[in-house]
Amino acid sequence: MTGRGHVKFRDIVKMHGEFAALKGVSFDIEPGEFFALLGPSGSGKSTTLRILAGLDAPTAGHVFIDGKDVTSTDARDRDIAMVFQSYALYPHMTVAENIAFPLEMARLPKAAIGSAVKEAAQKVKIEHLLGRKPGQLSGGQQQRCALARAIVRKARLFLLDEPLSNLDAKLRLETRAELKKLQRSLGVTAVYVTHDQEEAMTLADRMAVFMAGEIQQVGTPAEVFAQPNSIDIAGFIGNPPMNLVPARYTNGDILVAGHRLKTAARLPDERDVIAGLRPSALRIAPDGLKAQVDLVEDLGDMAVLDLNCGGTIMRMRVGDHDVPREGDTIYVTARPQDIHLFDPTTRKRL
Amino acid sequence: MAASALASAETGNPGAGDFGHALAQRERRFAAALLAPAFLALLATTTFPLIFLVWTSTYRMNLAMPFMNGFVGFENYRMLLIDERFWSSLLISLVYTGTTVALQVAIGLALALLVMDMKRGQGWFRLIAILPVVLSPAVVGMIWRTFMLAPDFGIVDFLAINAGLGSQNWLGDPTLAMVSVIAIHTWQWTPFAFMVLLASLASLPEDIYEAARLDRATAWQRFRRITLPLLRPAIVMVVIMRTMVALTAFAAIFTVTGGGPGTATEILNLYAYRKSFIELSIGYGAALAVALLIVTIVISGVLFALRRAK
Repeated sequence: MTGRGHVKFRDIVKMHGEFAALKGVSFDIEPGEFFALLGPSGSGKSTTLRILAGLDAPTAGHVFIDGKDVTSTDARDRDIAMVFQSYALYPHMTVAENIAFPLEMARLPKAAIGSAVKEAAQKVKIEHLLGRKPGQLSGGQQQRCALARAIVRKARLFLLDEPLSNLDAKLRLETRAELKKLQRSLGVTAVYVTHDQEEAMTLADRMAVFMAGEIQQVGTPAEVFAQPNSIDIAGFIGNPPMNLVPARYTNGDILVAGHRLKTAARLPDERDVIAGLRPSALRIAPDGLKAQVDLVEDLGDMAVLDLNCGGTIMRMRVGDHDVPREGDTIYVTARPQDIHLFDPTTRKRL
Repeated sequence: MAASALASAETGNPGAGDFGHALAQRERRFAAALLAPAFLALLATTTFPLIFLVWTSTYRMNLAMPFMNGFVGFENYRMLLIDERFWSSLLISLVYTGTTVALQVAIGLALALLVMDMKRGQGWFRLIAILPVVLSPAVVGMIWRTFMLAPDFGIVDFLAINAGLGSQNWLGDPTLAMVSVIAIHTWQWTPFAFMVLLASLASLPEDIYEAARLDRATAWQRFRRITLPLLRPAIVMVVIMRTMVALTAFAAIFTVTGGGPGTATEILNLYAYRKSFIELSIGYGAALAVALLIVTIVISGVLFALRRAK
């Protein structure tokens, strides 16, 4: 751990004319942490990253890095490295010149630059491409070049703006794993923007979930997955996402499509709720809710079922053994602790 | 021709390949027939006069002394090499071209960089900036001679008087006359460089500048290390095009100074004109024009070679 790269966002607001891209965002990032900003497009995660980098100025609020208020500090002077979604490689320079650029700007001696460039290129396995221009590289190689340029300087913060989104599916999985190892070995604080919840879940130590210009939840991926604190997050995290069905709470039970399910939640009064049930939390039980299998999506080692429970559609994940057939009638239930309850009006967790 | 090709395709050849070949030949002939008028017009208006010029340059052809006319071979060129006025006009041509092109690129680039950062009114600025280019150089010359540089009443002289420099003889003093014709050419053609460089600047991606900022490059370093190399092809293109035009400039200088005072602004083109049509020494004038052609070709060749170099 370098002990550098402590980030504090306090009430950051960003207005684009009348439109509020960020409506008062606050969070903390600890040194050495891999922190993901997760959210659908237009939720303000990239704006947050750009404000942290110093490329855009916030309309209100303060940014602190390592205890210093850097709100009005230019990007040049923040000691931050960034990997752009488009990679933003200098097209007229070779890979080696691209990687060397930040060091040249820091006025390092030539010899030191040469060895640092080699080392960075080795870390991302592109040492055989140093003489090429970006235009002669594949997407994955360009991405590695951008990574090398970002890590060569040993900046205190390492920002990644959807770095994997332009890679094909297989390469994305490989690079994802390498990225995590790289960040671990460098011990650098990383901030990672993505709209892909799987990326955020697998990479991040902690993550902030953005919705419509606000942070809805900050926590470890496991926490956010286990305890989503709003309907929007519940519907966003998980693949396939959580089933959200209207229900009636009465005295420790909920009534879903005419069937009673036990829940661990305790509410003071009888009331309408939205019940959240993860597709993986549903299980087949003879005393469960009656459901007709509308559709089976076979994914090889598992299958996703579309269930029709008396007009309420739910999805369920089952293992590759005893997969029901389309048209079958089955009975499903869930353990009391797997049932999440949300307020239908405030959309918050109950 | 087309008909015979069609006939041979129909009768003789059973193979599809032969038929395709005949068809391609027919197409080629048709294309040649369509091109022929334009090709002939070009031959008549450009190639023939050029050959005639070279041919003329090997004759003594003096309209004032027609009895002396006759083939002299390279005599005109031998005279040219020892003609001091030729060398001085060549030097003036090179100075004129070098300074006007350098100024056009420098000012055009500076303007383009400024206008790129304009949030509003870019369209208007471009529209106004392009106006000098659409004027005829002869008109530009007249405007400058009467409206801008006239003693006491011209705008430039008025400004000079108010700036405490006093009234200057802008077109009468040899050095000032040269400065004036360079300024006029630069004034008229900088918008061209400006437009090309602005278009090229606008096509550069925004994100690499953000990357450079995060890589801690200063504004000057971003210009030196990123903007300039990426604009290089556009700059080289502007230099080539403007050099070729500046070397053969004529109308503006002709209307403003006529090459004077004395021979102070007499570029090679003007000298050739004066020799041919004032002194009526057509043969020697033609040799001067050929010399200018060779100079232009050599310089353009060097520039194109430089363009390919990196």
